[in-house]
Amino acid sequence: MNNIPRRITLEEWDLRYEQLKKSGIYQPAYGGPLRRHVEDGDRRLLKLRYDNSAAALRLWNFLLTEEYRLHEARAAGRKIVGTMKDLGTVPVMAYCLENLVAFYPDGAWWIPCVMELGAGLLEIADSLGIDESFCPVRAMLGAFITKAHFPIPDMLVCSVGATCDDFSAIAQRLNGLGQPIFWWEIPHRRSPEPDETAVNLPGGFSAPKCQVEFVKSQLERIKVALEELAGDKLTEQKLSAGIRTANLVRRHLAGLRRLAFTAELCPVPALEMLIAEMLAIHFCSDRQETINVLKELLDEETSRVRAGKGVLDAGAARIFWVNPVADLQVMNLLEDCGGRICGTEYLFTHALDEIPEDLPPLEALAQMALADPMVGSSIDRAQRICTDIRRFGSEAVLISRIPGASHCALEGRVIGEIVQEKFDIPVLEIEVPPVTDSMRPTVRTRLEALIETVKAHRYKLKI
Amino acid sequence: MKTIIYTCPYVPAEWIAAHGLHPFRLSLDHTEPDSALARTEGLCPFVRCFIGEVMNNTRADGVIVTTVCDQMRRAFDILVRKCQLPAFLMNVPSTWQSFESQRLYIDELKRLGRFLTKLGGNSPSNNALAKVMLEYDSARKAILAAREYLSARRYAEAIASLYRDGPDKTPDSPTSTESSVDGIHLAIIGGPLMKQDFDLFDVIEQSGGRVVLDATETGERGLCAPFDRRRLHDEPLMELADAYFIGINDASRRPNSGLYKWLQQKIASRTVQGIIFRRYVWCDLWHAEVQRLKDWSNLPVLDIDTGGDNDNERQRTANRIRAFLEMLQ
Repeated sequence: MNNIPRRITLEEWDLRYEQLKKSGIYQPAYGGPLRRHVEDGDRRLLKLRYDNSAAALRLWNFLLTEEYRLHEARAAGRKIVGTMKDLGTVPVMAYCLENLVAFYPDGAWWIPCVMELGAGLLEIADSLGIDESFCPVRAMLGAFITKAHFPIPDMLVCSVGATCDDFSAIAQRLNGLGQPIFWWEIPHRRSPEPDETAVNLPGGFSAPKCQVEFVKSQLERIKVALEELAGDKLTEQKLSAGIRTANLVRRHLAGLRRLAFTAELCPVPALEMLIAEMLAIHFCSDRQETINVLKELLDEETSRVRAGKGVLDAGAARIFWVNPVADLQVMNLLEDCGGRICGTEYLFTHALDEIPEDLPPLEALAQMALADPMVGSSIDRAQRICTDIRRFGSEAVLISRIPGASHCALEGRVIGEIVQEKFDIPVLEIEVPPVTDSMRPTVRTRLEALIETVKAHRYKLKI
Repeated sequence: MKTIIYTCPYVPAEWIAAHGLHPFRLSLDHTEPDSALARTEGLCPFVRCFIGEVMNNTRADGVIVTTVCDQMRRAFDILVRKCQLPAFLMNVPSTWQSFESQRLYIDELKRLGRFLTKLGGNSPSNNALAKVMLEYDSARKAILAAREYLSARRYAEAIASLYRDGPDKTPDSPTSTESSVDGIHLAIIGGPLMKQDFDLFDVIEQSGGRVVLDATETGERGLCAPFDRRRLHDEPLMELADAYFIGINDASRRPNSGLYKWLQQKIASRTVQGIIFRRYVWCDLWHAEVQRLKDWSNLPVLDIDTGGDNDNERQRTANRIRAFLEMLQ
């Protein structure tokens, strides 16, 4: 069997799957060929390119079977918590209670892409007055109406305040349709004033102590609500254990990111790395399996790096990617054009940084929630991006606009200007809708131009 | 006297005035957007004009921005990088039912007070604050009482004048009565209106309607609750905070059930027959309420979106209002 790392199509995966199966690879209960997900309607899979490792197969299968896990959890009598917007904080708390499982209904924003608009979720959102001027996360509204993509949660928790207006407005629309929501406030993170006690947050930001205390008070409210739902006490011991487990996930991801972004040859493609990062947010409804999946992927990556193997050509342009893409295929497209990902800021870096283990757990989680890049200013966010550009040696920044997202109108300008003030590297801003097929030539041309610019810059530096 | 500019109704003018500074709520002008942002896709026209106005303002000594909407929150990032004017970002919580959120709002007022003091203001005594609050409260009461005797435009202008010129300098004295045109009772609902948008009131009257409820941010909906006169003397800051934070109902609140409760009461008491919903393109907070309002109100709703000012759009809006009122007649 040929084990040279490369990116392959779904057709090639059919053959590859049979080979791997014959070779006796371990497959978890949710394992199987990737093609079966196409039969469920995930037609975009036919157009993607995948890493050809067994670890990637497990990653994809884990991602694409989350709905079944949620239904299984409900059948087993566990309560389902729908956590919205905070991207990483509440699930750490929920998974500390054995009979709770948490997921992000926000994740429905990828359904229009994965099902190539076949699910009709955006049309439902349209009919509810949430049209295409909103972020594609409006698909979530359709998913709640159809009840076809996830079980309706027993409890919905949504952070508001310093969040994007799209999400807040869509969540309110859902609430107006009769879905109860537990709202909690995340204030805009600001710098401490001279007379205030400053707290250094995970990830390098700082905030006044009073803001940490405020967020802690909000998390205490959530804790009480989770306890009521679970019928169990969320003790400090349980929270501390939950934080330690979440940190295990984050350490695996840190290892994956470091190798993927700094190895001479790119060891894991952008798409699989994006999915791996997403797992940190809510563990894809199975915390322990998330650790197993990431561990296997990290082992594969490590062995490739040690063997000097990669999935892309040497010399690929090193791109820092800002914001997640609504169309997963664009991550492939970047690589097809001669780029590789060397640095990411997909809106949830706070879910990647380790949570302090030497603090009272709710205070540690409050610090983490306040470290959310979207909670602070675009200037803060740009500073963090600059730190990572330096760390990963990125040669260009690509800001991927999310159609209709309230934060995208102004933040790209601020981030782009600050990056260019600090580094002599190109910055490109593109908009990525859920399905880019009709604008693929335009996106491709722009990506090619960016990569040509990077390579021309390298040439200039040489002479 | 130093001037502090702002637009958000959750910024209490009384608090600025009590510091010995002049609160000046901006009436934005369609024609003064920041040219660098003119072609920015996805940017709310109101925010664009706000940035333009602040950048070009030569009379102000400070600007207050709030976190009530995400684009305004991010406009602050642009201002601190591009503008010399001292700027303050006030955290106004979206949630309002918990003690912690109310406490946060009060803490933010105190922090705003420190900012105002740095700009040359004086930290007010309780008595000084209560005196200013009383003046504003009396002016608001007078304006509200005059509503039935003023044209909708004059009523809106009286509110704007209060927050631009102060309680003692309103040029359109609400005590001077005028014959108000009667017509089909309409409510206008939405975010803030800009200067030129006041023409809408004339268009509505010329088309046979009368705005009996100005539920825009710059209208009656943006007014704080009346002050409790006894508490005003005992705990003026607490009373100020409650009247503004709890008293103003907005689409941005979570949950925003208070807005609908307020609308229900006003729509019923003023026998509203139709609703004009005015919103800016890319304003998600209000846009998301259109369909809900249609389902909820059982009244005809005309949804007017605006991307900025131009003659074609003005004409189109006027035609749509005429058609809407013809339908209601």
